[in-house]
Amino acid sequence: MSALAPRLSPALLRLNRRAWIAVGVIAAVALVLAICGVGFGSTWIDPRRVGEILFGGGSRGERVVVLQLRAPRVAIAVLAGGAMAVAGYLLQKVTRNELASPGVLGVIGGAGLGVVIFLALLSDESNSLVTSIVWQPVAAMLGASLAIAAVFLLSGQQASSAVRLLLFGIAVGAVCKAATLILMIVGPIYRTTQASRWLAGAVNEINWGEVQVVAVGLAIAMVGVFAVARRLPPADLDEVSARGIGLNLPVFRILVFALASALTALAVAFAGGVGFIGLMAPHLARLIVGRPVLPGIVASFLLGAIMLVGADLIVRVLFAPTEVPAGTVTAVIGTPYFLYLVLRRGSTNG
Amino acid sequence: MDKAISVASLTVAYGAATALDNVDLAIPSGKITVLAGPNGCGKSTLLRSIRRLHQPKSGDIRLGDVPISSLREKELARHIGLLAQNPSAPDDMSVEELVRLGRYPHQTMLQPWSAADAEAIQAAMFGTGVSHLADRSLGSLSGGQLQRVWIAMVLAQETDVICLDEPVNHLDMAHQIDCLDLVTRLNREHGRTVVLVLHDLNLAARYADRLVFMKSGGMVAEGEPDALMNEALIEEVFGISCRVIVDPVHERPLCIPIRNSTPRFRGETSS
Repeated sequence: MSALAPRLSPALLRLNRRAWIAVGVIAAVALVLAICGVGFGSTWIDPRRVGEILFGGGSRGERVVVLQLRAPRVAIAVLAGGAMAVAGYLLQKVTRNELASPGVLGVIGGAGLGVVIFLALLSDESNSLVTSIVWQPVAAMLGASLAIAAVFLLSGQQASSAVRLLLFGIAVGAVCKAATLILMIVGPIYRTTQASRWLAGAVNEINWGEVQVVAVGLAIAMVGVFAVARRLPPADLDEVSARGIGLNLPVFRILVFALASALTALAVAFAGGVGFIGLMAPHLARLIVGRPVLPGIVASFLLGAIMLVGADLIVRVLFAPTEVPAGTVTAVIGTPYFLYLVLRRGSTNG
Repeated sequence: MDKAISVASLTVAYGAATALDNVDLAIPSGKITVLAGPNGCGKSTLLRSIRRLHQPKSGDIRLGDVPISSLREKELARHIGLLAQNPSAPDDMSVEELVRLGRYPHQTMLQPWSAADAEAIQAAMFGTGVSHLADRSLGSLSGGQLQRVWIAMVLAQETDVICLDEPVNHLDMAHQIDCLDLVTRLNREHGRTVVLVLHDLNLAARYADRLVFMKSGGMVAEGEPDALMNEALIEEVFGISCRVIVDPVHERPLCIPIRNSTPRFRGETSS
């Protein structure tokens, strides 16, 4: 009998179906953009040709360009953008605050600092790592977790007060960024051309090994995300009401913060501190798909992927052959968006 | 008398300030118990302690014979429901979505949804008269409607005990009566044990089967409203000289305040 019970009423079913249709449309856009991302470069390869090359066709030269140079770059943009967006979705949910995001809460800053310290300590004189690249996201994760723990502890009893949380997040993020900058200037990694990545965020010079690390890490993290997804609806309530129906919100919040830190760290470890995707993508996702949680998570991921692939495409089109970090584009678009959200909040609820 | 909840030597402190000092109380099963007292007397703290929202400094709270400290979060939520003093949910959440959340403690990873859930939700919305609002967003409701929806959520939880913390605070008089009549009906028709915090003494006397008077972190008296509503006791607890008459309509004791009998401005603590 329970198997036959309607899980959702007709109205909620309709909402849910509409949300999944929207997710399908977003997925199609993401796919087209990813193919364009692979096709675009110093030589244009049309989408049909890209498909052929990906499935084993094409000349030797084309195969090198597509498979070794461009595809990993697009792949990391998809994974990193998606990871940061899902982290933002989780943070916005459990803090009940649409301004919360990995960037605003200092998590990106912390992860970036973690990576730079890792590189500073474990690079040899020729600037190559003395240990495996697999440890890089671990270092990022450590930095990210410490940053969000600091924000949480500083906000203290008022952690549920949105404003305090955001202010401390911005402060901790700024301190991390300053420390990162100092380390990059005085530390042993000053010669690396990648160094700017951890300040602004960029996805060039990526290889498949790095993509693999992110993909595996992301797969593990997403299992965690879907495991907590069921507990996200009660987290929409105030703390007392959530406890009343059996969700210990303070404990759950810490769990979700850890998960969001891990997701952010994975992204930052290889794509750098790309800001504002974790703010804009989940917000846009909620505008498009509404309140249902699972479609919201998937839509956030896809929109985050679209944003980073798109930002990378834009810097490639506008500034080629100079490599400008994709993070500059997300910052240019994200900052006014953030201000718009702040101002809109200010006018509606004081 | 069958006890739903028993509280023994309960002491709760916020930092250095003692909110409850050595309280003993039995909540009778199937009755409406109202906790009443002046601001800062600890009535809300007691209610929230019963629902394990405060870690007691010492003492023991039992649900039947089971110490509540031994129950897991969801287990406790299947036995005791709570309507918070200032509950909040997103404006764009629908009424049905909120009521569905009441089923959260009954759902597990393996059994995320059952026919019992669907039935409980329908029954809760019907019982509180909000079925026709199911698809509306919370932001579009009036204060009275919203309070009914929250009660529906607690009702859908299907707990034996329902705690309500000042449920009529923000409502106008018509909706206050409406809300408390609804709570009474849930008690009489569904046999739920109800624990209410009310600061309006006359509403407390009208709706309580058992009345508990509290003052500065301790229980002063406990019993039926007819026994407790006497002028001397009310003066002692609330600090007002008053006259108690019998409400000619409901034949319940009614307190008519005359004047404040204690000097004020002594720095009240809020509850």
